[in-house]
Amino acid sequence: MEIGKNRTGIVLAITVLWVLITICGWTGRWFEGLLMGVLLMLLHMMMGAAQNGKLDRKLFMYPLLTWFVVWIAGFFFSKYYSDLFLNMAPTFKILGFHPSFAAIILAYWIGGVLTLTLGLVKFDALWLSDENWDAFKRKMDQLNQKEGAHE
Amino acid sequence: MSSSVKWLVVIFSFGMILVSFLIGWAAKKKASDAQSFFGGTALFGPVTVGLSTVAAVASAFAVVGVPGLVYSFGNTMNLWMLSSCAFAMAYLAIGKKIRAMAEVGPIASLGDIADLRYDNHRGIKALLSMVLFIGAIAYLASQISACSALFGHLLGWDPYVAGFIIFGILTLYTTLSGEVGGVLTQAFQGFIMVLAGLIMIVAFFVMTGGFGAVVDVVSMTPSTTAVVDGAEVVKNFSPNSMNGWGALPGSIAMTWMIIPIIGTMGQPQVLTRMYALKNPKDMPKLGLYAALGHMVVGFFAVTMGYAALYLVGKGLIPPIANADNAIFAVADYVGVYAQLFVYAAILAASMSTASMFLTLSANILSRDLPSAFGFKLEHKKQMNLSRGVTVIIGILSIMFALSSGEAVAILGTFGWGTLMSATFPTFIIGLTWKGASSEGVFAGLITAFVTNIGALLMTSNGFKWPGGMPWYVNVITLSIVVTVVVSLFTKSCKDENLDKRVDAVIEL
Repeated sequence: MEIGKNRTGIVLAITVLWVLITICGWTGRWFEGLLMGVLLMLLHMMMGAAQNGKLDRKLFMYPLLTWFVVWIAGFFFSKYYSDLFLNMAPTFKILGFHPSFAAIILAYWIGGVLTLTLGLVKFDALWLSDENWDAFKRKMDQLNQKEGAHE
Repeated sequence: MSSSVKWLVVIFSFGMILVSFLIGWAAKKKASDAQSFFGGTALFGPVTVGLSTVAAVASAFAVVGVPGLVYSFGNTMNLWMLSSCAFAMAYLAIGKKIRAMAEVGPIASLGDIADLRYDNHRGIKALLSMVLFIGAIAYLASQISACSALFGHLLGWDPYVAGFIIFGILTLYTTLSGEVGGVLTQAFQGFIMVLAGLIMIVAFFVMTGGFGAVVDVVSMTPSTTAVVDGAEVVKNFSPNSMNGWGALPGSIAMTWMIIPIIGTMGQPQVLTRMYALKNPKDMPKLGLYAALGHMVVGFFAVTMGYAALYLVGKGLIPPIANADNAIFAVADYVGVYAQLFVYAAILAASMSTASMFLTLSANILSRDLPSAFGFKLEHKKQMNLSRGVTVIIGILSIMFALSSGEAVAILGTFGWGTLMSATFPTFIIGLTWKGASSEGVFAGLITAFVTNIGALLMTSNGFKWPGGMPWYVNVITLSIVVTVVVSLFTKSCKDENLDKRVDAVIEL
C-alpha cells in the first residue's frame, strides 16, 4: 500500500480530523468526534508503520484494520447499551459489567492489546525488518562519513 | 490508622526509597558520558524500559486522582486508564523514527532530535524546550504536592519535612546518575506499582465478589448520607455512571479517550524511552511489556474506584467527603497489607514520574536552552552544570509545589496536554512528513507556547470552553493546524531541502 507519495494528503486529513474532532467536542457531537479520533489514530499508525514508503498489506489487515474495526464496533455497542439503559439499571450484565462498559473492557481495552500490541510483536518484521534496519545503518554510516568529510 | 501500622508504612516506604537510592548510586558509573547521563541512550533492554515507561506515565494522579474520579463520576475516567495499547500505537506511529534518529547523530535529549531534524533551528529548540519545561514543572510539582501532603498527613509531619526527605533523596540520586539512574529506578518503582496493583485487584474481588455487585449497588442505591467530622456528606449514585461513558458530559468521554491514547506518543516519558532502548528490534516487545504493566496499573485504579463505590453504597464506610481520599478509604477498610501496598504504589508513582520530569527539566535548563541561545559547553561541564541545576530545580519545585493550591488532577492533565502541544508538531508530524518545514514547526511551537499560557490564564479567570471540553484540546489542534498550514507555504528543512539522513529516517 503506497504511503510515501500520499504523505501530504494523509497529514492534511489528520489536520482536518483534529479540527473536526474539536468542533464536535464544542457542539456536543462527541460520539462522531470519538469515531473520528479512531480514524485519526489509524492514519498516524499507517504513516509510521510504512517501510520505504510502503505499508505492508498484511500489517494493514492485522493489526491495524482489525483494531480499527474492533474499536469502532466496541464504541457502537457501548453507545447502544448506554442509550438502552439510560437512567436505569441494566437488565443484564456481561462479566459483571454494565453491558455498555463491557464493550469498552472487551473491545477498547482487551481488544486494543490483542490487536495492536500482539500484532506488532507477531509482525515485527513487517514494521521494521532486519534487512531494512541494516540497510538504514549502512546508509547512515555512508552519509555521516560524507558529512564528516564536508566539515 | 494505628501507630503500629503507620510505622509499618514508614518502614516499607522508606525501604523503597533506600533501594531507589542504592540503584541510583550504583548506576552513576554508567552515567559516564553526555549521551548516557542525559538520555540513557541505547543502553537498556525492553523489560527495564517497559517498566520504566509505565512508571513514568502512571503518575500519582493515576493512583490517587483516578479512583476519586471513578468514585465521583463513574467510568468516564476509565477510558483514560484502559489505554494500555497506546504504547504499541506510539511505537507503530513514531517508535522506529525516534530510535533511528539516535543513529543519525549523538542523541541525548528531545532537543537534539529537533536539532537534527530542523538543521539546528534555535527558535524551534528554544520554544520546544520552554513548552516542555512548563509541562515538566507542572508534572513535577503535582507529584511532590500529592506525595508530600499524603505522607505529611499520615505521619503527622509538616509536608515540607516529608517533601524534603522523599524528594530530597530523589534529587540526590538523580543528580548522581542522571537519566541512567532515572530509567533503572523507575523500572524498580514500576515493578512495585505492578505488584501493589496485583495485590489490590485480588483484594477487590475478595471484598466485592466481582463487578456485578458494584453495578447492582450503584444502580439500586439512590444516595447515602452520613455526618463526617460534624458535616453532612451525601453521595448520590446514578446508574449512568456505570455505562461506558460515565456520568460526565460526552465531550469529556471523547477527550479522555482520544487524548491519552494518541497523546501517549507525544509524551517525553515515552519518546525518550524509545531511544533508551538498546536494540530497536526489541520495540514490539517493549510495547508488550509496557502494555502488560499498564494493564495491571490501570485496572488497579479502576478497581479502587469501584471498591469505593461498593463500600459507600453498601453502607460499609461513610460517604467520602474528598473524592481524592477514595483509595485510602478502600485501603483502610481492607487492612494492613492493603495500606502498605497502596502507600508504596503512590510513593512509587510519584517518585518515578518526579524523577523523569526532574531530569527532563534540568536537561532543558542546563543543556537544551543554553544551546538554543548559542552557548555550547564541553560535555563534562554540561554534566556538572546539569547536576547543579537538578539540585536547584529539586529544591525550588518542592517549595513551589507545597505552596501551590492547584489540585493534583488539574495539574496532571495540564502537563499531559501541554507536552502534546509541543511534541506533535515537532516530532509526530516532523518525523513522519517530509513536508514539515522548520518555519511551520516554529510557528506551531509559537502557537503552542502562547496558547498554553493564554488558555491557562483564561481558564483560571473563569472562562468556559465550548462544550465543556478541556482547554488543551483546542491548543493542540491549533498548534497542529498552524504547523501544517505554514509548512505548505514555506521551504526550509522539507522535501528536497531535507537532510538526507533525516529523509532516510522518515522512509525507514
